[in-house]
Amino acid sequence: MQFSGLTKPPIGVVFDSALGDGIDDVLALALLYALEGKSETRVVSTSTTKSTLRSAMFAEALTKFLMGPPPPRPAPGVFAGFQRPVPAIGMADNGKLAQDTPVLRAVLDRKNDQGEPLYPRAITRLNETADPAALIRNALTAQNDENCLVLLAGPATNLAAMMALRGSMELIRAKVKVLMLAWGSYPEGAADPNVKADLAAARQLLTAWPTTVVAVGAELGTAVPFPGESFGKDFAWSTSHPILDACLAYHAQPYDVPASALAAALYSIRPDSGFTTSAPGTISVLDDGRLRFAPGAGGKHSYLLADPARKAEIQRTYVELVSAKPLPRPMRRRIPEKKEEVPPASIKPPEPRTGPL
Amino acid sequence: MKITRKALPRRTILRGMGAAVGLPFLDAMLPAMATPAQAAVAKAPVRLAFAYVPNGIIMNHWNPSYEGQLGELPRILKAMEPHRDDILMLGNLTHNTGRALLDGAGDHGRCSGSYLTGIQVKKTMVDIKAGVSCDQIVAKHLGEQTRFPSLEVGMEDARQAGDCDSGYSCAYTNNLAWKSETQPLPPLLDPRAMFERLFGTGAVRSPEAKARQADYRRSILDFVNAETGQLKATLGPSDNRKLDEYLTSIREVERQIDRAEKTNAQIDPKMEKPYGVPADFSEHFKLMTDMITIAFQADLTRVVTFLMTREGTSRPYRELDIADGHHPCTHHMNKPDLIEKVIRINTYHVAQMAGWVEKLKTTKESTGSLLDNMMLVYGAGLSDGNRHLHEDLPTILIGKGGNTIKPGRRIVFRRETPMCNMHLALMERMGVHMEHFGDATGQLNLAELS
Repeated sequence: MQFSGLTKPPIGVVFDSALGDGIDDVLALALLYALEGKSETRVVSTSTTKSTLRSAMFAEALTKFLMGPPPPRPAPGVFAGFQRPVPAIGMADNGKLAQDTPVLRAVLDRKNDQGEPLYPRAITRLNETADPAALIRNALTAQNDENCLVLLAGPATNLAAMMALRGSMELIRAKVKVLMLAWGSYPEGAADPNVKADLAAARQLLTAWPTTVVAVGAELGTAVPFPGESFGKDFAWSTSHPILDACLAYHAQPYDVPASALAAALYSIRPDSGFTTSAPGTISVLDDGRLRFAPGAGGKHSYLLADPARKAEIQRTYVELVSAKPLPRPMRRRIPEKKEEVPPASIKPPEPRTGPL
Repeated sequence: MKITRKALPRRTILRGMGAAVGLPFLDAMLPAMATPAQAAVAKAPVRLAFAYVPNGIIMNHWNPSYEGQLGELPRILKAMEPHRDDILMLGNLTHNTGRALLDGAGDHGRCSGSYLTGIQVKKTMVDIKAGVSCDQIVAKHLGEQTRFPSLEVGMEDARQAGDCDSGYSCAYTNNLAWKSETQPLPPLLDPRAMFERLFGTGAVRSPEAKARQADYRRSILDFVNAETGQLKATLGPSDNRKLDEYLTSIREVERQIDRAEKTNAQIDPKMEKPYGVPADFSEHFKLMTDMITIAFQADLTRVVTFLMTREGTSRPYRELDIADGHHPCTHHMNKPDLIEKVIRINTYHVAQMAGWVEKLKTTKESTGSLLDNMMLVYGAGLSDGNRHLHEDLPTILIGKGGNTIKPGRRIVFRRETPMCNMHLALMERMGVHMEHFGDATGQLNLAELS
């Protein structure tokens, strides 16, 4: 339902990945929050398919950092507006504990001088995370029609669970403009671990997802990586930075990070940033976890192509956004400050009205 | 009424002129040589009730700091401490359909309308649209098993019409129960009207006849005296005692109503609200809940919705020396004095509930107490009334639901768990199996509840 009295906000992003396994998705999340800081998008839901609280804690720690510092606390009894809360983190719970990773350890186990977590987070128990299917569904219900996109950089488990909820398909059809899929290689390539991790969900996603799907393959991510040299200089504005810690733990530096999720994030918000899409077709899932793209008019799928001539420009944008210093979180509502009383000017004639009513 | 040596039918009614008084469960209703199967049939039914409080709660004085077995309860719930073995605190239940979802302001109107329907209600003042509420689904299922499929009870004048919250019709805030998506069921708030509904025959009596009864100060029980006498002669001592207690409770309610009417007439003969509505909140609460208790006891209904006050209400609580309206206080903007007032109002409401719970607990049934066979939900459609939050809604489930619920604990579900999951679980226990309701993603984990 649309409410005519409100202006349409920037497009919302539902972000889902196996957070903690790799680094490309972490960079993508950082880029999205940087674009949120520029009012180009809004991250409306973050969830992980990695079934461990450590992954949810990692997502929350990143989110808190990337949302920017909270505004200073007002004096007791003074109301300065509502702080924007750190949103709930969705986490798949398949009953099996997923493996810890160097990326998770690098961010979650760092302590400050007082022995407290360097990157604070609140999640300590399962019930402090959200069921990802309900979280994503609920996030979609709050979006204007066709004003949302979904970026998937992990297995399709959470999205398939959401699709199974009653009414979700209609909701997706109404609200989602595009599904960005950081999967596979195109037109054909090696098996994708994210696809293999939940083959049934991957098939369901690609056959039943009702909107356009743009896939970003490993070939693009490798061709236009996030430049490793950036880690040595562009994050220095902060004495500690979770993205940097995660990247350093993931791979010895210098290392250019293959960046398909990052490309998906940038293209989804800034489609004219150096990318084009292939002709339409259909992506199918093979039994061994490979994806195959078959061109065909009327297909809802396509894959992303980068303009080689604009590689440097794309990489500059990556660096600029991923390493951007988060802006302080604005208050949600402020009570207008009390203006000093000015005695009425009885002689002065009223000024002509120039602004809107 | 014909009394035989056979088991007394469960739905026996004492009748007199203009009166029809249902009975509580008596031993005589069980066949003398009852087999276990027959005894099971005679088992007291499970009842479902929702008691709703508006404008949210000060949550840091509601939520205990722990999960699992209930121990010391926070300030607002303190009055429930004697009953902590009978309550199940449920955390993190969310009503997404109460949120703005592009409809802008109007959280009070929305949350009240969606509370039992699970539907995002239409933002309108004219062509209202919600959905069938879960209580009404159960009521329809139970159908003719009781005299009233459901009772809708309230305590605040619901005659307001038009816009009650930023473009939301007052129909959303005046009512909890919805029979269809366009038909809310207005609550009864006048104790006299409710008494007559419960114990009258439904015949319309002339004002003169009513006045005559009032003049002679005759109790409704006087009209059924003859049948009461006949019945008592056939009952054993235990049933006689039960019946006496029951009839006394009806008489006591009647006296309270008379008293309220007399007092109100003295205070202000031109007062707008019905004469039977006591000015004092706790007195009104006790009257209404006493009657709900009697209705459950006599199996007149198994489904009740109780709208304590309306969402967005600005009722002052002079009983607590709070002259400010409830709703303005909840927008406290972190001012300690306003927060304190809201806590006191929240605490006061819970104290009233604790009194009712005590009554339900001491009302005996064929199997345990009335409370043992109840599922009484006490809750609100907003958690933080200052910020209008629709998650972690304050919810306690009171009673054992006929031994299908294990109270005495606090369970915190995962964030964004739909409140409708609880509704599904409660409906299941009332014999209604539904795959979907509102935005439910499944039933609340039954194993966790039982």
